[in-house]
Amino acid sequence: MGTPAGDPRAGSDARDRAIAALAAIAIGIQILEAAIPSPVPGIKPGLANIVTLITLLVLGWRAAVAVTLIRVVGSSLLLGTLLSPAFWLSLAGAVASLVLLAALRPFTPRHVGPVGLAIAAAMGHITGQFLLAWAIIIPHPNLPLVLPPLLLAALIAGSLTGILTAQVLADPRIQRHVRKPAPSS
Amino acid sequence: MTGGLLRWGDALIGTLAAAIVLTAFVLAYSPSGDARVLVISQAGAEPRHEPLDRARVLEIRGPAGITRIEIEPGRARCAESPGRQDICEASGWLQAHGEVAVSLPNRLTLQVLGTEPGFDSMHY
Repeated sequence: MGTPAGDPRAGSDARDRAIAALAAIAIGIQILEAAIPSPVPGIKPGLANIVTLITLLVLGWRAAVAVTLIRVVGSSLLLGTLLSPAFWLSLAGAVASLVLLAALRPFTPRHVGPVGLAIAAAMGHITGQFLLAWAIIIPHPNLPLVLPPLLLAALIAGSLTGILTAQVLADPRIQRHVRKPAPSS
Repeated sequence: MTGGLLRWGDALIGTLAAAIVLTAFVLAYSPSGDARVLVISQAGAEPRHEPLDRARVLEIRGPAGITRIEIEPGRARCAESPGRQDICEASGWLQAHGEVAVSLPNRLTLQVLGTEPGFDSMHY
């Protein structure tokens, strides 16, 4: 949930700048990650998701959507994959995980922390990608056989990014830039 | 530090996700190996479909003699065939979807089929 402290219109410039900065960090992480060779194609840790989660928990839902969409478009521009299948897969995963994060929004500060959010987002991400791949890009009847290992990887990656998100949120250097501290109740 | 940050919702989501992963593995991989039907194709004849439900022996007459086919629940094999090199017999038990045994002298192929096709190959 967002920042109930104060009028949301006040300081919208600062908010925009924060969104831009977070999106820039997310793009940087995504591009660094794209440069890391992966043992299995299609499996990567999704560290850029940490930025989405931090945005969600600190600036709120709309900011998280903005940061994520800017990240998807911006990183694809820099990687040269804009409008290619890789871009659509990335977008489908991002949208699916945002939908799941939106569904979890009512529980977010109190009952569900970064780890739960990250796991849900990772599972949603791979499911969205898979559905797009299966429906349009590779409509092969055997494709579901690839899904279980990908889901397992998403579970592991989601747990890791969730723990990392919690660590980052708890860091005083991050807290200093945060108007409202991470929900700790 | 992270220990105190876990809430019950996190545990619930983690458990649910693990259950989804497990279910996906079970659903995707368990039925794949089971052969259900033996398809017997002989040159000049309609293919015969024999369900692999109970143990029995079939004898198929061909140009070179008789091919004896053993069927057991979930698998089948070419037990005896007139070929001198025993190629048909050497195929062993056919139990995964798509496995084939061939007897050229009898112009005969045996193939088992399952419900879920297995992998032929995988590449990226």
